[in-house]
Amino acid sequence: MIFLKRQLPLVITFIMGVTFTLQYYIPHPVSEEAITNVAKWMQIISGFALFLGLASLFHVHAVKIKRQVPGWGYSLVLYAGMLGMIAVGFWSHGETRVDGAQTSFGWLYDYTMVPLQGTMFSILAFFIASAAYRAFRARSREASVLLASAVIVMMGRVPLGQFLVPWSWDVTQWLLNVLNSAVRRAILIGVSMGAVALSLKIILGIERSYLGGGRDQ
Amino acid sequence: MKEFARRMVGIDRRIIFLLIAAAVLLPLVKPFGLPIKVSPEVKAVYDYIEALPERSVLFLSFDFDPSSKPELEPQAVALLRHAFRKNLRVIGMTHWLTGTGLADGVFSKVAAEMGKERHKDYVFLGWSPGGGSLIIAMGQDLYKAFPSDYTKTPTRGMPVLDGVQNLRDVNYLVSLAAGGAGIEMWYVFGKDKYRFEMAGGSTGVIAPGLYPFLRSGQINGLIGGLQGAAEYETLITQKGTATAGMDAQSAAHFVIIVLVLLCNVFYFMLRGEKGRPN
Repeated sequence: MIFLKRQLPLVITFIMGVTFTLQYYIPHPVSEEAITNVAKWMQIISGFALFLGLASLFHVHAVKIKRQVPGWGYSLVLYAGMLGMIAVGFWSHGETRVDGAQTSFGWLYDYTMVPLQGTMFSILAFFIASAAYRAFRARSREASVLLASAVIVMMGRVPLGQFLVPWSWDVTQWLLNVLNSAVRRAILIGVSMGAVALSLKIILGIERSYLGGGRDQ
Repeated sequence: MKEFARRMVGIDRRIIFLLIAAAVLLPLVKPFGLPIKVSPEVKAVYDYIEALPERSVLFLSFDFDPSSKPELEPQAVALLRHAFRKNLRVIGMTHWLTGTGLADGVFSKVAAEMGKERHKDYVFLGWSPGGGSLIIAMGQDLYKAFPSDYTKTPTRGMPVLDGVQNLRDVNYLVSLAAGGAGIEMWYVFGKDKYRFEMAGGSTGVIAPGLYPFLRSGQINGLIGGLQGAAEYETLITQKGTATAGMDAQSAAHFVIIVLVLLCNVFYFMLRGEKGRPN
């Protein structure tokens, strides 16, 4: 059992990691066939991951409802929404439209999911405005620079700002293309190097937390 | 005066909410229609599509869900109008499961408006799991990755896919992305190996993070947020919801700027006080 739980996943990870790192540099038909098949496997495995996620979500909220923890009513709403959507989805054979006519699944999608998600996102505008009013203060030199550049970019990215302060457009373009790009690039290089290091550690079996349970597993 | 400043610093946030609501609603009721300036990054996308020969293949990846609809749907509509006007073949798909119905709706609406036929002029492949591995699968063999499209019609033999075997046969790809599963993923798993030209369209909030890809040439153009969509509508000389929404966005930005500046004025007025605001 320990072999199945520990050694086998490590061996599979090592072989697949090394093989498909090398595969990238070998454009031979056999190598191409291998990546075609493995990509299909990965698609299927991702599909199973979706079911796992769904099962986990159901489980977490079932526990909340059972124990009646504070806010368990929301879990009930989540259950009703998910089960309702799944039932209607099956009823409509997963189709949103049939011969141009909207199905009940399509109706639920268009008139509940789209407006609900849109509402959640648009509420951000109100909270960002309120938070900016309270928190965006020139407390230090660095905060002042951030404040000034934010104001210029907010001006330069909309027609009213470009009309009132014509130079804000050019300064915004410069800020985005030069300063912002340089900083973002530095962050990206750091993150990418970290990802490469982590990938190597996983392939070589040094990092084993993905096996679950802890480092000594 | 200090008492007024103190009261203003602690203003009820519902007043700020009301100001923002008014700033968004009033310009939608009575637009002031200011001209839209076009940035080089949006112009680059337009120019590339404009230079494509007829029946070239444009791949449009709808990597967003309804929460980003106000910003990314106008981009999709403008790009589709341009592509159909140029008589290009369009292949669509999404990496976001919850965006599937939305993307199909956009395709159906614009195709009907431009007199284009499904499976002949365009195809919407729908959603399939996998993210990066799905891109690799499409790069190897499009028909294995998507044996059928969103309407469950077999993809092999479709007139719109004539001569298209995998991503190497795509002339231009645009990913309209609201987050991680989007532009970067298309570059890393797609463009880098299968060598097609690509651009990105994104929400305003993630656009600054994509500028390094733009500057390095990993993407050749970038449509950022509602402003980017409005710029594209200006280029195709067909105004839509983005141009209409820019007045509201202008006013909202203006209100936030005024609020932030005012708050700083009050902050400096109270700065020397004992127990000053921080």
